Amino acid sequence: MFATLPAAQWNEATAAHLLNRAGFGGSPTDIANLHQMGLDRAVSWLVDYEKTPDDTPAPDWTQNIPENFYTSRQAILKAADPDTRRELDRQNRALENKQIADLRYWWMRRMALGPRPFQEKMTLFWHGHFATSFEKVRSPYFLWLQNETMRQNATGSFPQLLTAIAEDPAMLDYLDGERSNKNKPNENFAREVLELFTLGEGHYTEQDIQQSAKAYTGWGIAPDRLHYQYHPNNHDPGPKTVFGQTGNFTGEEVLQLICRQPQCAAFITAKIWRFFVQDEPPAPIVAALAADFAGHGMDLKRLMRTIFQSQEFYAPDVVRSQIKSPVQWLISATHQLEAPMPTEPMTLVMLLQLGQELFQPPNVKGWDGGVGWITTNSLLDRYNFAAALVEGQRVPLPALQGQMRSVANTLEEDALLQIAPAAVTTLFTPDDLSTPDNFLDAMQARFLNGTLNPLRLASLQDFLKTRSPIEETDIRKSIRLLMSTPEYQLT
Amino acid sequence: MQPPLLTTRRDFLRTTLLGGALSWTVPSFVANTFGALHAQADGALTQVATGKDGPILILLQLAGGNDGLNTVIPYTNDYYYQARPTLGVKPDQVLKLSDTLGLNPAMVGFKSLFDAGRLSVVSGVGYPNPNRSHFRSTEIWQTASDEEKYLTDGWIGRYFDNACAGCDPTVGITIGDRLPQSFSSHNPTGVCLQNPASYRFMGAGLNDDEELAYRSMFGGAADGGQSGGSVSMLSGTITLHNGQNALDFLERTSMDAQVSSDKIRDIAGKVKNIATYPGGGLANNLKLVARLIAGGLPTRVFYVSQGGYDTHTNQRGSHDTRLKELAESVKAFTDDLTAMGQFDRVTMMTFSEFGRRVLENGSHGTDHGAAAPMFIIGSQIKSGLLGAEPSLAPTDLEDGDIKFNTDFRSVYATLLQDWLKTPSVPILGRQFDTLQMIA
Repeated sequence: MFATLPAAQWNEATAAHLLNRAGFGGSPTDIANLHQMGLDRAVSWLVDYEKTPDDTPAPDWTQNIPENFYTSRQAILKAADPDTRRELDRQNRALENKQIADLRYWWMRRMALGPRPFQEKMTLFWHGHFATSFEKVRSPYFLWLQNETMRQNATGSFPQLLTAIAEDPAMLDYLDGERSNKNKPNENFAREVLELFTLGEGHYTEQDIQQSAKAYTGWGIAPDRLHYQYHPNNHDPGPKTVFGQTGNFTGEEVLQLICRQPQCAAFITAKIWRFFVQDEPPAPIVAALAADFAGHGMDLKRLMRTIFQSQEFYAPDVVRSQIKSPVQWLISATHQLEAPMPTEPMTLVMLLQLGQELFQPPNVKGWDGGVGWITTNSLLDRYNFAAALVEGQRVPLPALQGQMRSVANTLEEDALLQIAPAAVTTLFTPDDLSTPDNFLDAMQARFLNGTLNPLRLASLQDFLKTRSPIEETDIRKSIRLLMSTPEYQLT
Repeated sequence: MQPPLLTTRRDFLRTTLLGGALSWTVPSFVANTFGALHAQADGALTQVATGKDGPILILLQLAGGNDGLNTVIPYTNDYYYQARPTLGVKPDQVLKLSDTLGLNPAMVGFKSLFDAGRLSVVSGVGYPNPNRSHFRSTEIWQTASDEEKYLTDGWIGRYFDNACAGCDPTVGITIGDRLPQSFSSHNPTGVCLQNPASYRFMGAGLNDDEELAYRSMFGGAADGGQSGGSVSMLSGTITLHNGQNALDFLERTSMDAQVSSDKIRDIAGKVKNIATYPGGGLANNLKLVARLIAGGLPTRVFYVSQGGYDTHTNQRGSHDTRLKELAESVKAFTDDLTAMGQFDRVTMMTFSEFGRRVLENGSHGTDHGAAAPMFIIGSQIKSGLLGAEPSLAPTDLEDGDIKFNTDFRSVYATLLQDWLKTPSVPILGRQFDTLQMIA
């Protein structure tokens, strides 16, 4: 269907592009290693990730589940006096806030350091697609379960993933499925599944929403609030008419009907293309990909392999045309600086300020991405946070208000609220530092996988021309300036 | 050396081109690398005088689809109580505005504004063929398009393009972390600002000595479950214009940030609020708007948003909480502006992407609907009840939803013509009937 990238065009630039888009970027060594593999093996290393063992342990608090969740809620309900109940409730909320913060950081570290970058990138895609927020779903445990469901089904078949998500407790809570009632069904999930998860606006009717809402009744959460449970007494077993077909459909059957609409494959492939490749997917490409996707059981792994091997994925107008998400910005910066992920409070503050709080997208449509990441304020923040990563930073304690403080372990608080300066001298060889031009080449290769606009390059040359030899402080300032450019926001 | 305080894009260009060597800070680096680029592109700009005494419009978005029927309650209408057996607000509880309409009891602040002649209600606002998707309907309100038409630019963006091309970027200010599609335009789009203390390029990273008032980590979530619904923010989608690439967009934004940051921080640090505000995100954002207005920015339009109106389940408590926050925050804001001597320059408009279905659902909530009321607040308005009250008789509904009587673009046209004093046709595409809204 698509022409595979010719072997002659597989080089460090194309390898860097693949690692940036299918993962979260890497150091020059990471890129060189990927390049060494050749295109097929490189794509396979990313996409066939099951072959790479991943023993990342789950967050501690997801163990001992009944003790951590069910029992504490029961205690709140059973507390006789209101003051005790309030106090237990307050403690429980503080615990939930701590858990969600830990979960965010746990996932950031897994994306940055785990052995399967593509599985995590795909999981991040699905998190934005099947957006679900802690703002409403107050259970970190549900959100962790959902994250695992997305991870386990990240590149299987789309219909299977869709069903798993539809019956996922966090989603049942978020879009009110568990509160839907066979006598007066709630339409929230029924609408969003069509509009945002499968077909897109304009490809269904209000009647499809109202009828399918009946089919989803009965899906619920077990009384222990730990997992999905079907409540047959609350299911409307009667006939429903969806897309002109009438039957006593179950919810699962309606989801299969939706997946068989040709628009579903087109919608999903276009959205995947937008996330991994470019903002405006060319219609012929989407049509060809969608046909192949629909013809092969909506197999996501096959789709992703095709994309990553295609010449179109490596086109000049695709490479370095995408605005980094805050997650991508931070993780790729740590790889380029060969620096550790900043501490939990620092990492979470940066993501919050830059507009991508994991497990808390702005609404059920997820993050818009692209130019939506950029405002005058967020760009200033990116420039300032770049300085913090390069030059080190200590955030004053009064800056961390309210619950943010609980994120920091009190014993280690001081240490957690600092970013150590990056060890920049080890990033360059003596040869790199021998002349300003060599240094600028090495710096652009490492931090941009591309080149600066000539005007900005001239400014940096101007900055460096009086600095010989190039000292550590010059390196630091140069990197910081480079990271404070429009080009650095692109990948 | 501090970079110079710049007042307009043009001053900025002149200064950076002629100003000679600046010391090596990020601001000077940014200035150096943009100066020539933008001098070529923007050489022929004409600065339109925006002035710092002109009228100001504030858009307050209620994101998620506010239930108009439980906001402005038709307390003598039997159809209302039949449709809302568990959610209906009892007649003796409403804050009466007329013989037929009353405010939700949580909205004491709005009632006092109404009594003081500073608030009007426009009933039954919507548009033909209402769309019930949050996202599409938000886009329609933000771009002022017809239902079947897709526009990229926002109605405020088109106002900027028509009336303020080449203006200082602070002509439009969004308080929040996302630029609303309303502001999308060719040039400028205005600035977006969350936290004035950090709104600048910092010398050596985040300065220790500077107060960094980061928002609470958990933002709006702190008040707990259910309240937010599945919509806490709905900004519409900003997309690139034809021929523009991501790098162009980044360059322009970087430039606007540079031009606006010194001024905004200066004002936000200098001007103090006078009135006492309640807690919460909306009040905090309005506090900042009041300071920026009093500080004399040439801003014509401010945009603030309050989320959590997507009340599909257990609506009553969470909806009342939102309305209370809304009414108290806006009341404090108007008190503050009055005390600062600025209220006469300001008109505020609330909007939401749709109202909700007349009939409540089975989970003590309401699903997506159509027409709903809007609030107009100011000291220069004709206060009272505008627009025809829609019928709730089942036969008068459209798919169970309220039919609109007033097109939302009539409200926009009135604000553009009678408040911002600019022709509305170039912005809205055709002439919409105007309302007797501005005194």
